[in-house]
Amino acid sequence: MGRKILLVEDDRETASYLAKGLGQEGHSVEQATNGQDGLFRATDGTFDLVILDRMLPVLDGISVLRALRAANIETPVLILSALASVGDRIEGLECGSDDYLVKPFSFAELLARVNALLRRRESRVGPADHRLTVGDLEIDPLSRSVKRAGKKLDLKPREYLLLEYFARNEGRVVTRTMLLEQVWDYHFDPGTNVIDVHVSRLRRKLDEGFEKPLLHTVRGAGYMLAA
Amino acid sequence: MPTTLRIALLAGLLALLSNLAVIGFIYGRTHDEAVASLHRQVTEQSKVLTDVYRSGGKKALDEAIDDTLAYADPQTAVALIGPDGRQLQGNLAETPSLEPMQEGYRSAVIRLRGQPSPHQAEIVLSRLPKENWLVSGRLVGADLAFRATLERSLLLALLVAGLLGLLCGVILAHYVAQRIGNIAAVANRISARDLSQRVPLSGAGDSFDRLGMQINAMLDRISMLMEELRLLTDSLAHDLRSPASRLHAAAHAAAEASDPAEQEELLASVVRNADVLIRILSTILEISRSEALTGRKQFAWFDVGELAAELTEMYDPVADEREVVLRLDKPERPVPLFGHRQLLAQALSNLVENALRYGAGGGEIDIRLRRTDKQIEIEVADRGPGIPPERRAEALRRFGRLDSSRSDEGAGLGLALAQSIAHLHEGELVLEDNRPGLLTRLRLPVDAAQAPR
Repeated sequence: MGRKILLVEDDRETASYLAKGLGQEGHSVEQATNGQDGLFRATDGTFDLVILDRMLPVLDGISVLRALRAANIETPVLILSALASVGDRIEGLECGSDDYLVKPFSFAELLARVNALLRRRESRVGPADHRLTVGDLEIDPLSRSVKRAGKKLDLKPREYLLLEYFARNEGRVVTRTMLLEQVWDYHFDPGTNVIDVHVSRLRRKLDEGFEKPLLHTVRGAGYMLAA
Repeated sequence: MPTTLRIALLAGLLALLSNLAVIGFIYGRTHDEAVASLHRQVTEQSKVLTDVYRSGGKKALDEAIDDTLAYADPQTAVALIGPDGRQLQGNLAETPSLEPMQEGYRSAVIRLRGQPSPHQAEIVLSRLPKENWLVSGRLVGADLAFRATLERSLLLALLVAGLLGLLCGVILAHYVAQRIGNIAAVANRISARDLSQRVPLSGAGDSFDRLGMQINAMLDRISMLMEELRLLTDSLAHDLRSPASRLHAAAHAAAEASDPAEQEELLASVVRNADVLIRILSTILEISRSEALTGRKQFAWFDVGELAAELTEMYDPVADEREVVLRLDKPERPVPLFGHRQLLAQALSNLVENALRYGAGGGEIDIRLRRTDKQIEIEVADRGPGIPPERRAEALRRFGRLDSSRSDEGAGLGLALAQSIAHLHEGELVLEDNRPGLLTRLRLPVDAAQAPR
């Protein structure tokens, strides 16, 4: 189901590329090209998500975000920025944004994050059913126990966190950086394949001995947990 | 030159002021001395005469007055005044108006016999029996004359001192201007882009030489930084060149390729090389940010022990895959540090990745966390080939990758970034010999007294 997304981006090329891509995913995209206009449109509160460039003419992205939060508008905000340092990312997140994506990024990465944010909003609004199920996989976040086809899986704490994050984004692409940020809370780019190694360990425990795999690799983007 | 003039005037003014102080002191002292000596003389003379009267009566006093007038200097004034107020004996030209007739020391204006005008005098009045009064004193005119001469010479001295001061000032200013001028000339030539210039030293070891030495040291440092920057730019250009040309080639080939599978593969290569470029650029930016100390506002207290444990756990599967044993040795208790958790996580992860990348052959990597009163030390030690001492400084430099043939992208930045993060925390990164292998050690100063409990 398509959602209403506000895209505040002054670079025309990036904006039209993103609007086109998001449109193809079924979302309706409104555009603003400066901070003031963006803030004005965002304050009507009917958007499901705001994608906000950090460096904008008239009013910069961080100021727009602060003004929005000060006006008690809790629409999820994804910040796009060419400012890549760890400090900049943390600052962006601390100002009340829900996610922070560094330019340049792949569209797959952006889409994965947009979907995760929209999903989070949905589950926040939806009924509080804390048990997570994906196919024959059952996760109980309270006891942190995991069963597949009725058989208990023995996971290490970090493996459990990984799996829970995957399950909360069931059927959606999760990128390596999303995992690093959400599961480990690190905002830098490790040089080695450390995330892949963790995912493949989890996969071995999750899928080995079962006919139908649940944890899939999405080429060029990341991973997806789906029945 | 205004500066020279100002220094000269200042020196002249200072000379004038200090001489004024000395001369004022001399003037005051001589004045006090003169007054005191006059007072002594007058009191003594009066005392002698009254004593004569007491022991020898009026006759003896008359003789004593005569003697005094005969032998004493012309400034002396003596008179015996009767009850009717007339002078019975003495050298006063007229009986002064000494009302009220009262015993004691006082100033008065009197005229001596044979003198045309009255003078200021210091006198003592003493009451004798039968309503007789003894007047004894001295004119102060002579002392005044002496003081006037003194004042004139002092004034002249003051003028000479002022002029001499001005002259000294001019010489001094000229000297200073010349020494400073040398330094300024060097600065000028440096502004004209010749960084090899140095301030000439006189060898006297004075303040000017010290200033010159400091400027020279600053210039050495600037030259070094410029050289570093040049090296950095060169290696950055070099490192960016290969992924950029690979990207260019792949993009071209992809545009021409007819087979969809081949095209997809080429496009994947485009993305991969673009990623390499982005990663190099982000790391370079991150280093600059750390060096510029902009991250300090995000400092907070956190447990380094927990961070080390977290990263060990994170890299354990990677080590496992490369058949390396990854061990962590840390204190049981928390190790609080006021710092940037994210950046330190990155620094430590860079050290571990460096060990995994180059030292995995040794089969073991040790992470050790130690704390002393003043600092926290985090070591990552491998058993690989290590880095010979003479090449360690190079290894810490941006793009100081020791094996230049290796196309392991961006790896040359890991240690440089860890070092700049250490600098952000006022600490340092040192490379040591692990006998065999490489030992990288982050030393972070910490104020234990401020740590939260």
